[in-house]
Amino acid sequence: MIAQIRTMLKKELTDAARDKRSVMAGLYYAIGAPLMMCGMFMLLISQVTSPDALNINIEHSERAPDLVKFLASNDITSIDDSSRKDIVLSISEDYASNMAKGLPAELTLSADNSDEKLQSSIRRLEKSLQLYSAEMGSLRLIARGIDPKVVQPIKVNVEDQATADSKGGMILGVATFMMIYAVFISGMNLAIDTSAGERERNSLALLLSHPVTTRQIVWAKMAAVTVFAMLGLLLTLVISKIAYGFVPWQELGFSVNLTPEFIALMLIVSLPIALMAAALQLFVSFMAKSFKEAQSYLTIVLVVPMMLSLAASYNIAPDTMQWLPVSGQMQALIAFIKGKEIPMLQLLLSSASTLAIAFALTFGMEKSLKSEKIVFGL
Amino acid sequence: MIKVANLSKRIGDVQALNDLSFSAQDGQITGLLGPNGAGKTTCLRTVFGLLKPDAGHAEIDGIDVAKSPIEAKQQLGLFPDPFGLYERLTPREYIRYFAELNGLSGKQAKQAAAKVLDKLHMNDIADRKCKGFSQGQRMKTALAQAIVHEPTNIILDEPTRGLDVMSTRVLRDILRDLKQQGHCVLFSSHVMQEVAALCDQVIVMADGKVVAVGSPDELCQQTGKASLEDAFIQLIGTDEGIAA
Repeated sequence: MIAQIRTMLKKELTDAARDKRSVMAGLYYAIGAPLMMCGMFMLLISQVTSPDALNINIEHSERAPDLVKFLASNDITSIDDSSRKDIVLSISEDYASNMAKGLPAELTLSADNSDEKLQSSIRRLEKSLQLYSAEMGSLRLIARGIDPKVVQPIKVNVEDQATADSKGGMILGVATFMMIYAVFISGMNLAIDTSAGERERNSLALLLSHPVTTRQIVWAKMAAVTVFAMLGLLLTLVISKIAYGFVPWQELGFSVNLTPEFIALMLIVSLPIALMAAALQLFVSFMAKSFKEAQSYLTIVLVVPMMLSLAASYNIAPDTMQWLPVSGQMQALIAFIKGKEIPMLQLLLSSASTLAIAFALTFGMEKSLKSEKIVFGL
Repeated sequence: MIKVANLSKRIGDVQALNDLSFSAQDGQITGLLGPNGAGKTTCLRTVFGLLKPDAGHAEIDGIDVAKSPIEAKQQLGLFPDPFGLYERLTPREYIRYFAELNGLSGKQAKQAAAKVLDKLHMNDIADRKCKGFSQGQRMKTALAQAIVHEPTNIILDEPTRGLDVMSTRVLRDILRDLKQQGHCVLFSSHVMQEVAALCDQVIVMADGKVVAVGSPDELCQQTGKASLEDAFIQLIGTDEGIAA
């Protein structure tokens, strides 16, 4: 029994390793996805972190020399060159006179608020202006013999408890999903080839005419697809580890580091997912009438794990989602990245439900391979 | 020995097998002769347990296929139609694979594969991938797969289709050889010359039923015709199907 499964597994792997399409499908993803992620993170970082010197257009700066000096001390300047942001701070004509009279002196800040890239710069400018305003107010109160503290009834102390790692958690949530997804992509072509493809090449009937049980056949195929999926994941992890080294994380104030512990946990946690992915893909491919049909069905089926894992990383779904396959494992991995305790019960339950689905599908396949409809497409 | 008794099978609206009974003896070549659509392939698939009969049963060396499929299949070798080769494997790997599936150990399978490759004069193509093989090379690979584990019973589905004279002769020699060694050989065909040249016993099938059983000569005598072809047409009662 075991010997025959081993024979079939060996043959499936030899066959698959010689199939360019199956190997390339895994390789493209394992190499392409981490590099794309890196590119995306680099862009993201360059957008969210504004450079130290903020260059904006200050119109009529001569009307408020003190304010301009204050902004300059905060590295906000007005120099007419290519680095100038599309933000205009216009000083009104009566600024100086109003300021002298103790009336509100008007400034106009015009910028495109929908432009994501300008958001942090706008906020920074606003903050500086408020600071200046508060400082002027305090000076006026002092000049009138009043302690400025009376107009500050509340003092809020903000203590940011986010550790460097937990800040990276969100970004790594996306990265984790990308890694788990490798399990679904890497084995997919093999799954189709070894089921729908095998029937299309007429070798399925021949295989069934030999003294092997459908259980042995299904288990061998499951094992082969799982091996491919796990190899794809391992390669994705290795390439991610190297590629993430080139992302300038320090600009975000935290670092994302794929530690060996994380890689080990990822591999263990992903094994049930890989089994479920293999079972799901083989099951759907066996049900499909042809290779092409299997491909189009699987494209739709692959959306499901994507939804589950996105639900986990963005907290858009109810809590029950935490117990479902994929999302449960994702949350455990994200917790690990953030340096929090891994929710063991949740991880065990979602792993168990993942395995339950895998075994149910395996059992279904065993039955379906005894059906004339599935084997001969009658 | 292969024995089928009262097999009936309906596929869709077609009664593919209709109370079919026959047996094929060890040490004999038995031909299953019938026009296209007579139910030959359905019958052979039923013998392998790939199709479940609506009624009746099939026995291999006295083992009921439906009850103990694995034991029954261990006594069988199949030369299928179509061949079902794995194009990315070499014939040596392909043959070894099926030998191991039939319970041979790695070492035994290696020896058995080498032996059968020798026997079929396949050493020149043994380590080339099956992709791009000619029909004759494919036939040999499929045949090697069927006999590598030396089953007592060998079933061939339309073995001579698409073969040239040389390949057909190789096939015939192998089948005679197997018969000499006491194997039970059952093959389906609609080619008269093949059946006439090889078979000890011919089972003529039409519409899922056996219409006549006997040696080629007996069938000729029975119908009073000079050739097996004429006898065949007489037996199935129409020339429909032969033209196809």
